[in-house]
Amino acid sequence: MSFKNIIIKIAFYLYNNKTYKEVKKFFFNILQNPDYKYKKYFDSFMISLILVSIGILVYEVKHPVPLWVDNFDIYVVTFIFLLEYILRLWVYNDLHTLIIREHEESTFLNREFNIWSPIKVFFKGKWLHLTSPSTIIDLLAILPAYRPLRVLRIFVLFRVFKLLRYTKSIHQFIEVLATKRFELYTLLFLLLFIVLTAGISIYVFEEQKNPNINSLFDALYWALVTISSVGYGDISPVTHEGRVVSMMIIISGIAMISFVTSVIVSSFSEKLTELKENRIIEEINKNDSFIIICGYGQMTRMFLKNSNLLPYEYVIIEQNQERVELGIKEGYNVIHDDASKHDVISRFNISYAKITILALTGSDVNNIYISLNAKALSRNIKVIARASNKDMEKKCLLAGVDYVVLPNMAANHMLLFAITQPTIYRAIYNILTNQHLAHIDEVNTVTHLKLMGKRVDEIDFKGYKLLLLGIQASNDAPFCFNPPLDKIIEHDDILLIMGRKISIDYFQKRFQKA
Amino acid sequence: MKVDRIFIFGYSPRSLFLTKSLQSKKFKITIVVSNRGQYEDARKDGFVDIITIDMRDDTQLASLRATKEDTLVCVMEDNHFNVFLTLSLHFIYPENKIIALSDSFHVTQKLKMAGASKVIDLYQVSSNRIYNILNKPVATHFIDSLLSFEDELSLREITIPENSFLDKIMVDDFNFSEHGIILIGMIDKRLSKQFLFITSGLEHRLDRGDVLVCMGYNDNLDKFEKFIID
Repeated sequence: MSFKNIIIKIAFYLYNNKTYKEVKKFFFNILQNPDYKYKKYFDSFMISLILVSIGILVYEVKHPVPLWVDNFDIYVVTFIFLLEYILRLWVYNDLHTLIIREHEESTFLNREFNIWSPIKVFFKGKWLHLTSPSTIIDLLAILPAYRPLRVLRIFVLFRVFKLLRYTKSIHQFIEVLATKRFELYTLLFLLLFIVLTAGISIYVFEEQKNPNINSLFDALYWALVTISSVGYGDISPVTHEGRVVSMMIIISGIAMISFVTSVIVSSFSEKLTELKENRIIEEINKNDSFIIICGYGQMTRMFLKNSNLLPYEYVIIEQNQERVELGIKEGYNVIHDDASKHDVISRFNISYAKITILALTGSDVNNIYISLNAKALSRNIKVIARASNKDMEKKCLLAGVDYVVLPNMAANHMLLFAITQPTIYRAIYNILTNQHLAHIDEVNTVTHLKLMGKRVDEIDFKGYKLLLLGIQASNDAPFCFNPPLDKIIEHDDILLIMGRKISIDYFQKRFQKA
Repeated sequence: MKVDRIFIFGYSPRSLFLTKSLQSKKFKITIVVSNRGQYEDARKDGFVDIITIDMRDDTQLASLRATKEDTLVCVMEDNHFNVFLTLSLHFIYPENKIIALSDSFHVTQKLKMAGASKVIDLYQVSSNRIYNILNKPVATHFIDSLLSFEDELSLREITIPENSFLDKIMVDDFNFSEHGIILIGMIDKRLSKQFLFITSGLEHRLDRGDVLVCMGYNDNLDKFEKFIID
């Protein structure tokens, strides 16, 4: 067997090895995937480790530390940093997938398999990773552990920089500043120009007359200290020419500081909404299940009012800026975006969280598009869509919508009851709007173990002021309406009961799992 | 049938199902519209009794000559106009039952203040349904089948006839379950005309003329109705 064949065989082995893939995926998620639910624990652990390590290094500057503390810093902390560095390098890219791709392409094109091509791409990727600023910081953060060279302790600073990896707010600050790169570079060049001009001028005017200016470095140092409005006072001009330069540099300094401040403030005000929206998405992505509501109209408001959802349980996506502002004003989590776009929904934690999308915009076309977009991203996303009529309901179901609500139809049903059967209307209205007088609720025997094994007549529903409407068995059996008195309640059965809210709450409490 | 005639003010997709359902139930329906477009739409959908009037004009509204027993249904698309119309109708026909359609809590309040006897919120039921779908799937399915006119499970009003064996007995003394039905509430004529849920905890004595609201399969409800008459 040739060398190439062995490599291809190993590549396929790794490609098909479930354990290898799962392990690599796990490390990728924990190191790189911000949506992975356990990443926050890893990040917190690393932040604590960095802080402890900095604390040890700073403390031992003036105080002797016990040997075990020193060993902890040298061996444990550094080992974890080193391990993290290696793991990041490992998960960055895969050689076996590149080899398989090359093999498949060469087989398809009937050309000779070139092993060096994927290896080249692989190492190029690794090199890119190794030379990225954050990886360089990671490497430099390992160095302070080498005790014989005390100068390496200066690299403790890189342990502080390493915090950037795990703290999003600093990261976001840098990202915001990066958007004003052009303005900041322009200001930096202007600053350099003024410092250089003023420094050279003062050097020329005062080198002979000012005892504190002995070199060009002294002159540049004075210019920088003055323009920044710090003004230590260790160097000050002594000639008229020097003072004129000072006056000019002070005025330029004020202008420069104002410019820098305004650039930073404007970049933040421009990005503030985006930052807030990102924060909402990050917070919601930490949950195992949440609801994405598309459209902020009357129906959404009514739903939110009825459901009492907590802020981290839902997010509203609305296209219309006015409605977004209204939603925010009314205290809801609203982001300004188009829910029918692939990129917008894919920002949510689709792989790990249980997501329900409510397509509640006023347009059937939009609702169907949102539903298709969600289902195209993942079939596991549950979609509840609003439709205006029966034909649209059919189209929604074709698009894969799990449940369709027809507000017109529901309201028309109620109108019909109100006209034709006014007594029933009162009952139905109470039931459908979840009024406290007539609540229909489910009691699951899994969470209410004390109900299991009992006969229906052994439970005093009348005493609890409840009506037992029926029992739904777990084994997909048809719903048992008005169950016989001798029916035994089994495991996983769901009891459908009706009564006042307080009666239901009391009943559930009494039979809840201990 | 209690309702003699129903005037439906406005014709739009919002109220199409209602209008068609009422027509199929052999009610005497009059559709009142304010423009030619709505008139044409109603004609196209097979309605015959259509009146075109200026609904802002009280004289024209009064010319409809609705009797006290007639029900007036306001389903105009424009909320402002729907409230105005409700107020005008309440002014002209103070004793009539006015039912109106609303699309928000604030409009509902205004319609009630304008004199509507019942206001149906377009989104309240649906938003609750979404909540139920998410939290109570079995209950959702049950309620859906209860409301679906095609399903066998339904709610029915049953009035206790004269000389019925149910007259003057306590609710607890009669086992409705034996007949395959569940009594969920009633209108006790002795106490008030208010609907009372059986789970409210009060002891009720049944009397002739009381209206029982029962839940069950249509077969069982039919049999029970026949049983109490016989």
